[in-house]
Amino acid sequence: MGIDVGKFMKNPEYEIKLTTYRDIFQAEALENDRFSDEYKKHSATVVMGKDGMKKFGLKTGDRVRLMNSYGSIVVELRESKREEPGGLAFMVNSPWSNALVSDETGGRGIPEFKNITARISLTKDEITKIESLIS
Amino acid sequence: MVTCTGCALLCEDIEVVIENDRIKESRNACRRGAARLRGCKNRLAPSFNKMQTDIDTAIKKAAEILKNAKSPMLFGWSNSTCEAQVKGIQLAKKLNASIDDTSSFCQGLLIERVLKKKFRTCSLEDVRNMADVLIYWGSDAQDSQPRHLSRFSVFPRGESRQRGYEEDRLAIAIDVRESNTAKICKGHFYRIPLKGDREFILALMDALSGKVPKYDAKRILELAGIMKKAEFGVLFAGIGLTYSIKEDIDILVSLEDMLPNFHVMPMVGHYNMRGFNEALFKETGFVNRVKFEGKPVHDNKYAVVEALKAKSIDALLIAGSDPLSSLPRSVLPHLASIPVICIDPCVTLTSKIAAVTIPAAASGLECSGSAVRMDGKVIEMSKVVENSYLTDAQILTRLMEGF
Ligand code: SF4
Repeated sequence: MGIDVGKFMKNPEYEIKLTTYRDIFQAEALENDRFSDEYKKHSATVVMGKDGMKKFGLKTGDRVRLMNSYGSIVVELRESKREEPGGLAFMVNSPWSNALVSDETGGRGIPEFKNITARISLTKDEITKIESLIS
Repeated sequence: MVTCTGCALLCEDIEVVIENDRIKESRNACRRGAARLRGCKNRLAPSFNKMQTDIDTAIKKAAEILKNAKSPMLFGWSNSTCEAQVKGIQLAKKLNASIDDTSSFCQGLLIERVLKKKFRTCSLEDVRNMADVLIYWGSDAQDSQPRHLSRFSVFPRGESRQRGYEEDRLAIAIDVRESNTAKICKGHFYRIPLKGDREFILALMDALSGKVPKYDAKRILELAGIMKKAEFGVLFAGIGLTYSIKEDIDILVSLEDMLPNFHVMPMVGHYNMRGFNEALFKETGFVNRVKFEGKPVHDNKYAVVEALKAKSIDALLIAGSDPLSSLPRSVLPHLASIPVICIDPCVTLTSKIAAVTIPAAASGLECSGSAVRMDGKVIEMSKVVENSYLTDAQILTRLMEGF
């Protein structure tokens, strides 16, 4: 049996800045059932501008791992419909984005929900389930 | 007419069709509100140690946990009626517990300044009738308070704004992202870098005092000119702005001081967060992060995030909130090691790990009560559908009787 070399090769990782926003379709799904596929679909997604995606060799529909020292999640990548000149990546605020938020608060009680640094890499792993964000 | 509790606009003009004690259809609500009115799919059941039980046992077990705790915290409150919030504060007093709400990591910094009259503010009716310059700053109302623009700010005709947005009003957005609200503010969208709000405020203050701002001088001078000329300006301060300037929030007070015709309104998400802030402020002089030790003591260490990080609480009662959804996972491990009591109409991430769950009536639908709109107006909500759930306030009263 041959060795699948690709299996041991790490996909390249790139550092990104991530911020969060609100989305009415996700809010609707939350009101309806926060354990639903609909809520997961709207939450477990990262949006990037065309240029950033091209730079990293990523495309819409790719599954990507986002990780930093606070957590690691797998989400779907989508290209932004708008210009994103700052190179920022975006996620709707949810337990998925919260898995990456730092516990550093400077003692002021407010975490940096909207100012996240993470590494992004292509993955074949499944999208993170909400249940695994509780345990 | 029914009141929607989907956000702190508390729209009172909702018409509903009721079938089998549930709202089948609603009119006038936004997408979020309509979903809220239909009710959640998974109702919470009473439980103790993950085993279903009856409501009386659940309340008894919750009272035992609180009684045995040395430093309990009562948290949540932004989705509770004013009546339940007052009971919650009474319970905290009785237990010498700490009490905090979601404003602690949301808009508390701004609401505190509104209640202390550091900001000039106004009502949403004033906005509708008089406002000519509307600035959405770090706020995507179209997605968070979806009827804000159509009921009160950009689109309606008002007493002195008979020509509406076509001629009488100017909408401006300042944000890191071209949000749906920013799209409406065509030609008046100012994109700023992440954490760039402070620098933008400083540049605006330079422009307002006749100096040339350090960056994007042309556009900032233009914006300062618009703000200066406003007859009735309103700055809708969103959570994006609050988070970005949280270390120096008073800079926003300084900016407003330079603009005598401007008003600041914190954009509140949860329907009754301001209600809790007002109730606690009335009782203690603080809007959140209080511990009762004979007298109320306010300290950042009583913020839910800091208390969890420091592992300084040994039991947590949560009413109308889902911290497992809304807090960073990095601060949550301590939650799993202490008994959690969860009072909520619906199954939430937090209810899944709670030692005790107590189902409550959904306020504004299954029970009556009052709430405070984002601008401070008290809104009465009536019961719409028949049900046998206890209200948050009744549950808290019964808990207090258990001591
Ligand atoms: S704007 Fe807010 S209160 Fe009004 S219908 Fe929508 S969710 Fe409900």
